Amino acid sequence: MLKRRIIPCLDVKNGRVVKGVHFKGLRDAGDPIEAARAYDQQGADEICLLDITATTEGRENFVDVVRSVAPQIFCPLTVGGGIRREDDVRRLLNAGADKVAINSAAVTSPLLIKRLATRYGSQAIVVAVDVKRMPALPRDEEPLYEVVIHGGSRSTGLDAMRWCEQVAELGAGEILLTSMDKDGTHDGYDLWITREIARRVPVPIIASGGVGSLEHLRQGLALGEGEADAALAASIFHFGLFTISQAKQYLHDHGIPVRPPEHRRAA
Amino acid sequence: MARELTLVDAGLGNLASVERALIQVGSATQITDDPDKVATSRIVVFPGQGAFGKHTDQLVSGAMGEALRMVIQRGDPFLGICLGMQLLFEGSEEGGGHRGLGVLSGKCRRFPDEMTAAEGDRVRKLKIPHMGWNEVQPSGEHYYFVHSYYVDAGKSDDVMWSTTYGDVTFAAAVRRENIFGCQFHPEKSQQAGLRFLRAFLLGSRQ
Repeated sequence: MLKRRIIPCLDVKNGRVVKGVHFKGLRDAGDPIEAARAYDQQGADEICLLDITATTEGRENFVDVVRSVAPQIFCPLTVGGGIRREDDVRRLLNAGADKVAINSAAVTSPLLIKRLATRYGSQAIVVAVDVKRMPALPRDEEPLYEVVIHGGSRSTGLDAMRWCEQVAELGAGEILLTSMDKDGTHDGYDLWITREIARRVPVPIIASGGVGSLEHLRQGLALGEGEADAALAASIFHFGLFTISQAKQYLHDHGIPVRPPEHRRAA
Repeated sequence: MARELTLVDAGLGNLASVERALIQVGSATQITDDPDKVATSRIVVFPGQGAFGKHTDQLVSGAMGEALRMVIQRGDPFLGICLGMQLLFEGSEEGGGHRGLGVLSGKCRRFPDEMTAAEGDRVRKLKIPHMGWNEVQPSGEHYYFVHSYYVDAGKSDDVMWSTTYGDVTFAAAVRRENIFGCQFHPEKSQQAGLRFLRAFLLGSRQ
């Protein structure tokens, strides 16, 4: 049976991990190479590096970070943040990323998705979709969610469900769905929109935004709750609250199909 | 002749992570796109990402295809990864139908749409591609897969390991004598993947 994936995400700014990764055995909490290697050894199913640098020089740094992290890990590497042009994608894939996540650029130039999918294959193209729940209008049967860009600061007028269907048609291989209402709250994923999109859109959905406990991971992945194919989380792993292995064990004990933690055999 | 391993660059995707994994398990590796170098190699790894199409047609009917067949027919150890494994077979339904190297019998078929799988007391709709970690039988080990087409092997003896996705049980790894293939990405499958590569290096008769 295909397993649900657990994806730790590292936010990188000017070549350093933001807020740092605080668990046993790391000498330098801000070093993205050490952090990624540690997650790989804990048995992360995939690792995500997100560039949150605002400046152009910082972006150059990020390509270097990808280039130095990629050879150190033996699982898929997804990278994103600030990708505007086809050339950015090419450089990141050449630096060793397996998948590239495109966010605002997909909204402003949707045909970019199609060009990239044709050129690199859908499996390499993730579209990151940030959503916000709209205030309820009395006659709506279902809540409405809008796609937002630039870290949630800009409205787009796009309906989240329709947009996700469209990006899948354009060739996105996966959707990284982040609830901007939940992001940073530690009170769990937005299960409603995650489930609706996971059910209706024919590509895998990665749930993101709001994880504060192992139970939140379970909710995001369970049928009838979030139904996501993969769960992305940052702080619960960074601060050493839980290891990837502990997360896997919890999910396994609660009926979610996950890959068991690696037995430490020498390769 | 050097006993160095040859990693074939046939323009079917990035080779860096496969190279890195082979180095990790102790193999000296040369990357080449030269059919003559491939033809004279004593151990060959042939990775591929992407799809059957014009590009694979050219490969199959061109000098590189010839070189790969020479290595295989001579009985030197050969490992095809992902599309590289699929190309060992007769052909694929993909893109209206394309030929493979035809070294092993069988065809690549697309996973049917609308597959489901039971999970507890619920049923889950399955997505294509088959992407993520799945287990292989008989070992129960997990490997990382990304593919929309699977190998329907003509001879069950060639199937070394199998994996199930929805209604389909397919060849996760094949072996006939020194010809090996894996549908999964050993270079992305952490310790299990490195163990597989090491087993190939040690277990194939050189």
